Amino acid sequence: MPNGATFADAYPTQARHIRAAFWASFLSLGVGAFFGLIQALHRTDILRVIESQTYYTVLTAHGVFLVISFTIFFLVGVFQWAVTDSLERPPVDMRFTWGWYGLMSLGASLTAFAILAGFTDSIDVRANVLFTFYAPLQAHPLFYVGLVVFVVGTWLAGADWFRSWLAWKGDNPGERIPLPTFMVLTTMIMWYISSIGVAVAILAFILPWSLELTGSLNPTLTRTLFWYFGHPVVYFWLLPAYLLWYILLPKLAGGRLFSDPLARVVFILFVLLSTPVGIHHQYLDPGISEGFKFIAMTNTMFLLLPSLLTAFTIIASMEHGARQRGGEGYFNWLTALPWRDPAFTGMALAGMVFAFGGFTGIVNAGMNINYLVHNTLWVPGHIHTQVGTAAALTFMAGAYWLVPQLTGNRLVGRGLALVQVVLWFVGIVFMTNSMYRGGLVGIPRRTAEPQYEGFEYEVAAGSVGELNAQLAIGGTILFVSAMLFLALMVLTAFNGGTEPIDDGSIPPALSGPEDSPAVLDNLKLWVAIAAVLVVIAYSFPLASIVSRGGLFGPDIGPIPVAIDAASTVARTALEAVSAVVR
Amino acid sequence: MRLRTSPAKLLVLVALCLVVLVELRTALAFVGVSLSIGATVAVGVAAIAALLLWAVRPAGSGE
Ligand code: HEM
Ligand SMILES: [Cu+2]
Repeated sequence: MPNGATFADAYPTQARHIRAAFWASFLSLGVGAFFGLIQALHRTDILRVIESQTYYTVLTAHGVFLVISFTIFFLVGVFQWAVTDSLERPPVDMRFTWGWYGLMSLGASLTAFAILAGFTDSIDVRANVLFTFYAPLQAHPLFYVGLVVFVVGTWLAGADWFRSWLAWKGDNPGERIPLPTFMVLTTMIMWYISSIGVAVAILAFILPWSLELTGSLNPTLTRTLFWYFGHPVVYFWLLPAYLLWYILLPKLAGGRLFSDPLARVVFILFVLLSTPVGIHHQYLDPGISEGFKFIAMTNTMFLLLPSLLTAFTIIASMEHGARQRGGEGYFNWLTALPWRDPAFTGMALAGMVFAFGGFTGIVNAGMNINYLVHNTLWVPGHIHTQVGTAAALTFMAGAYWLVPQLTGNRLVGRGLALVQVVLWFVGIVFMTNSMYRGGLVGIPRRTAEPQYEGFEYEVAAGSVGELNAQLAIGGTILFVSAMLFLALMVLTAFNGGTEPIDDGSIPPALSGPEDSPAVLDNLKLWVAIAAVLVVIAYSFPLASIVSRGGLFGPDIGPIPVAIDAASTVARTALEAVSAVVR
Repeated sequence: MRLRTSPAKLLVLVALCLVVLVELRTALAFVGVSLSIGATVAVGVAAIAALLLWAVRPAGSGE
């Protein structure tokens, strides 16, 4: 890319495509945040604009719009930018690129329709199954079809990036994969390995069942397949944030990435470790032996390593940047960082919240202590610090830098943008602190009315009333922050005739790719090892689930049905007899 | 009026104050010290006021 030119100058068509992905993402954020506000006010009984029965429609929409649509549309945009910018070449065939975007949009629209139709009785379509769609909860088939089409779109997106890389490799034999592209490719490998699980769950079991082609399914099996995908998906949200922290944050801080090799190691560790851990979401599921849960826990603890490595590299890069800007002393360099820049500050605050949320994740991951917080409000607390801030706030902050590059327009309201990211930070701490504390005393999640007659939660310091107020205040601040973000994005999009402050160039790492062992770029090797680990971690649990409950559930065969019918007849007869005798 | 720090840093510091306050109250509760809402708000107001005073105190006076 020529020096001083924005991405939009160098690749106008590609920039338009990425903008389209971002708008889909931002639209989902707006709708999702609105539902979030409704939930925050409803659960706490502060303002109830919906019937409590409708709560699950709202919650499903909140989950799906935010963690499927908002995050994934944004990250495919980031990945497209990262690949094009770092390989310095457009996709091989732009029609294919628009094609996968079209598939994703179609899938998202079908699923959105299935969920939102639940608000009216005039359409006989419903999908109040929450974003985890656990069977035997059943949605309209459109919901699942939409999800599958959406995921297939992301698969093709990955294929597109691999294709660009192969074309680049042909022109640049023997060269190291540029770091941003390396991050995209490894993330997509992880995504391929893991999303197979949810695809099988839907295509083989849940969709045929919702179409009434099969009469039954094995809920433990579909749940396990869901969580096989459900943990890696959190890294699908998080790794694009990591990409921005590694690639953009050091530059924004005024310096350069500390170590390219360490960054590569981190991404490979995620490829290897993020899938064989999913059972840590099922510690309380009956039908899975404790031993498998214990193995999943051990693997999970290893996953801390790449995140700690990231914390080290990022902070080292920031310190380097600050010292380049004249920062001095043990801690004083912190004041030399560009806190005025909303992109920098937003990412730095997101990183801080992420570290905090990571510690609460250790609580979730510990098998014994998980029992304390399982299915309580603690879990949404964790969700909002991690995907709801580490990813979401990083994305918003990243947009303050990326959208000017993609439009060629200057960011409107830099000062307001700073207020926006700070508001998110404060809002999220208010809301999640309340959620964590509420969870610790047993307040359940996924409930419209968590208060019970004749029972009081014993809150350490304060009362449930205070917790509720804090949650509602935090949620409202978050909503305001989200709306502010969207307004600034719209204004920036229309801010023609201006130029971004920053040129789009990314400085090279201090310790560059030449310092990293070539084996790190051997993607086939890592795929093979990852596959072996997955087989080791999952073959036994899946086999035992299937042998215990059957592929299509415990009550599919003729024998259980006969027993069931016989026992019903027997019970009715006994009841009749006892009534007569009495 | 000249600030001792930039408005941006001040904004971040005020936000950090709020955040530390909320989390500190929780941490204190774990060790058996419970601050009432009133006390928490009072501490917060005092801390933020002190921060703002420090910021607007003309540079060069003192230190
Ligand atoms: C506008 C700001 C937001 C507010 C006010 C908000 C509020 C809430 C509340 C109160 C719940 C708990 C509902 C319950 O368990 O009964 C919840 C759940 C959840 N939120 Fe948010 N949220 C916001 C933003 C986000 C963001 C940005 C994300 C992710 C990117 C997110 C992801 C989730 C998820 C995955 C759940 C769990 C859904 C489920 O249990 O099925 N939220 N949210
Ligand atoms: Cu997990």
